Amino acid sequence: MAAIVRLSSMCRRGVKPLFYQSPLLSRPVAALQRDHEQQHLPTARIHSSQALHGSDAKAASRHWTAERVLSVVLLAMGPVAYFSPGPVVDYSLAAALTLHGHWGLGQVLTDYVHGETKVKIASAGLFVLSTVTFAGLCYFNYNDVGICKAVALLWSK
Amino acid sequence: MSTFIQKCDLLKFPHYNALCRHVAPMGSTAKEEMDKFWSKNTRLNRPVSPHVTIYKWSVPMMMSITHRGTGIALSGAISAFAVAALVLPGNYSYYLDLIHSLSVGPYLIGLAKFGIAFPLSYHTYNGIRHLCWDIGKGFKIPDVYRTGYIVLGLSIITSLALVVM
Repeated sequence: MAAIVRLSSMCRRGVKPLFYQSPLLSRPVAALQRDHEQQHLPTARIHSSQALHGSDAKAASRHWTAERVLSVVLLAMGPVAYFSPGPVVDYSLAAALTLHGHWGLGQVLTDYVHGETKVKIASAGLFVLSTVTFAGLCYFNYNDVGICKAVALLWSK
Repeated sequence: MSTFIQKCDLLKFPHYNALCRHVAPMGSTAKEEMDKFWSKNTRLNRPVSPHVTIYKWSVPMMMSITHRGTGIALSGAISAFAVAALVLPGNYSYYLDLIHSLSVGPYLIGLAKFGIAFPLSYHTYNGIRHLCWDIGKGFKIPDVYRTGYIVLGLSIITSLALVVM
């Protein structure tokens, strides 16, 4: 039974088949007898599951951008820490370093850890590590000389 | 799972004509497909094909994994420092004096400083190189190699400068 189908109607928003650029014209779906002779021809399989909706749709993209923004901020903090050390820079450095490391290690996890349970365990472990790291750095900033002074002292020897 | 098969517009591009005539949606996400791949192959206990052990290593490859390695090392060092701050008794100056009193000798101190300075410099400079790629610059292979050598050179020079500072 023939029917007019647009590829975009089967695919949810956001699906772009590889190489496919131009907008799709409406085409009749192959009739039943034509389906059989077309079964053996190469078929490009595309992902057309339900796309994320609302705020979820751009989450990954925004995370990527946030990672780069944080990298630039951390880069700028180097000279700032050198020329005007102090508690504000100490705590900012603690936050930026920990978050940059947390996100970086998160990417390493994504690359090398597979399987739902393993990913969950590894992510939980990473979260604990980052939390403890941030806590430790803040403790050091509060109760001890602070990050900037610590580096200066270490290097003076 | 719907299995519509229809002729796709790709046919008007002659070189794609041979690749595929039809497009069929799969009804699963890329993540689901990847998870299926891994769970099936680990369940069947299949070995992974040799990849990094057989492919000829290139400078960009080595620099990329070094960027990752220095990142992990630096992060580990920061975490170790933070845990030490929480767990160890005494303050920072106490432990600095402890290291001083070891009287290790200038060369070993210089080596240790280089061991800290180099990963930091390399990761920073290569990080800038990464950020340039992120804005779309420097992808041509000659540029990849050129910027790579610049990063290596700058890292060594900066590390040496920091050591003698």
